[in-house]
Amino acid sequence: MDDLALQKIAVSGPTLASMIERINSCLGDADGLLFGDVASITPTALSDDSTQTPSDSQLVATISGFLCFISPLSFYDSAGRVDPTLVTTHLNQKPLIGWFSSRRKTPIRPSMREFSVTHSLSSIPNLSLPIQNPNFSSNFPPSIFLLFTTPFQDQLIHTNQYCAYRFQLQKQCFSPVSIDIVNIGPAFRGHYGSFCPSSALPFLSCELKNSAAMNEDRDKGSLSGVKQAAKDQEDLDMCAEGMDIGRLSQLMGPEAANYTAGLEHLYEKMLTKLESLSRLVEASSAKVLEQENHNRKLRLKVAKSAGVE
Amino acid sequence: MSSDFPPYISTQLHYLLNHFPDKLKIENVWSGSKHYSVTLDRFTLVIPYCLDTIKWDIIYNLEFPLAAPDVIFGPDDEDFHRFLMMPGEGDRDSRSRAEFAMSDWNNKDPTRLLALIKELRDQYAAYQRWRAGEIDDDRLKFEISTIMTREGIEMQIISGADKTEEVKFGVPLMHMNINKLVSACPWRHPQKIYLQVIYPVARKYASAPSAPRLKLMSPPELKALFSIDDVKLPSWLDGMCMAEYLPNLEESLGKQVFEAVTLIDFRRSFIEALAPLFGRPLEADPVFCRKATFLATSGPFAFLVYFLLSTQFPKQQPVLMLQSTQHFQSQGVPIKSALLSDYPWSPRWEVSQMAERIFEFLVDEALNFKRYCNESQLQH
Repeated sequence: MDDLALQKIAVSGPTLASMIERINSCLGDADGLLFGDVASITPTALSDDSTQTPSDSQLVATISGFLCFISPLSFYDSAGRVDPTLVTTHLNQKPLIGWFSSRRKTPIRPSMREFSVTHSLSSIPNLSLPIQNPNFSSNFPPSIFLLFTTPFQDQLIHTNQYCAYRFQLQKQCFSPVSIDIVNIGPAFRGHYGSFCPSSALPFLSCELKNSAAMNEDRDKGSLSGVKQAAKDQEDLDMCAEGMDIGRLSQLMGPEAANYTAGLEHLYEKMLTKLESLSRLVEASSAKVLEQENHNRKLRLKVAKSAGVE
Repeated sequence: MSSDFPPYISTQLHYLLNHFPDKLKIENVWSGSKHYSVTLDRFTLVIPYCLDTIKWDIIYNLEFPLAAPDVIFGPDDEDFHRFLMMPGEGDRDSRSRAEFAMSDWNNKDPTRLLALIKELRDQYAAYQRWRAGEIDDDRLKFEISTIMTREGIEMQIISGADKTEEVKFGVPLMHMNINKLVSACPWRHPQKIYLQVIYPVARKYASAPSAPRLKLMSPPELKALFSIDDVKLPSWLDGMCMAEYLPNLEESLGKQVFEAVTLIDFRRSFIEALAPLFGRPLEADPVFCRKATFLATSGPFAFLVYFLLSTQFPKQQPVLMLQSTQHFQSQGVPIKSALLSDYPWSPRWEVSQMAERIFEFLVDEALNFKRYCNESQLQH
């Protein structure tokens, strides 16, 4: 398969910023996986030229998420061979487009192991993504590599540097790719489509109350009805807090005259849920930090004793 | 507080520096840890290759001591990665060269870093040979095929003036062991003389292929015995190839080195001939006999006489320098004379006569020097 040209890698400002923040908070070097998708765009040539040659479609990769490992050799070994089972356990159905590596105070070009890992990752069958484009169907292997480093001398203005490569399996080399940071603005609209919500509203069966017979069924509180209602409430509680399932009926059907109020209520409850979730995250982060510090002390102990044989 | 490597890195590093066949240097050391850390885990290794050096960054990870280090190669060697991905030669099963180099990493074993660097350097040499073999130039292909049987040749693709490609060869000359020829030789590494040959890659429409640029190179310690600057390279005739050129050069060079070794004894006999006249030397170089220092007196005036003998002795006469023990400059530095090399001399004299003539010259020169010292002192 010919390697199609990758025109650029698009990443939203917040995603890149959170990646940099995450690697800066690591004590040592870090690496991780990149998720996203690849689409083919046909650049439209706005010209009245009748002798228009069909322009080659090019690929644009979008990074929509990442997973950062703080310990090295997490999905590969010292020689850079990737273990496919270790990668797939982290995927959780998320589409993998590549990986990233960060190392402080080192030159900004790929190292020996990074080359091996990218080569190995790109060669794993079954990990390729389908390219989004109706014209042709082709697959894109996870061949994107994002490298983060810091300058040798500590500087106040310039603290991080990054550059992106696409690994071409045929030529066995890295080719640099430009990164396009998409911030909120007119250009961002196109990105709405490439971000899939990680917690969509659950699919709840909705039966319009139009039949008196069915109403009777529900009012009677049949076991199946009650069970269904309880399950639906559980599903709703995953994304909203303190919202009664019954109130969802305000969003549809005959009771939806007060649609706006119902929707606002739903959003309010979803925000409450987010708030309690973030408090949970804060508490668990503190516990994780404690554990990480403990682990670090143990590792330094090993390091001190490792030289003595 | 001095910065240092943790024990597991420093044992491997010391083993590497002490046991590597060539002389390695560490250019930079630093830490990759987040907080300002005095514990180091990264360094730049300067490795000699093809009469020049290559620099590789070796990256350990302080937070994870059991992990193997990573290597970042030079900025011009991007293709080296591709070469390392290829399967190795010989019976190494189907592992790539990179995998082979990194196998069996054990951070408790002090020899592992040396094994890794040695393997990678050998691979780098193979990579350059492979690149040179890919160049479409008939003369180069011929040269490479005819001289590859010589042991120890290294080659490198470099970019010359105007961004043209050139192939540099580092050819070790003479298989003789120079170290063995010198009794009580102080050199730690074997001294070898190399010929650097730089071929420009023939351009498609060039007329005749131009002669390569030739240069002799040797480690600086060899200067004590033999100076390659004194060697006149035989000229490269049109249409010559290295297989033809090298044997003549090696023969002539071999003769010159042997002569240089015999000259050590001659210099020694000269210094010994000075002893009856000047007394026992205060200091003398016992191995190469390139210098000797004596204490002399002219009446109450005591001074030191330095004898500096070049590798061209006796063709070139010794350079003398006098230093007063009684006159000092303002900073407390003793007053020295200029370098004296303009006195009667003939290389055909016997060493005893050489010594006598120098003695006579110094009897007069000492008075001049004393006057000079007194005048210099009056000025301060």
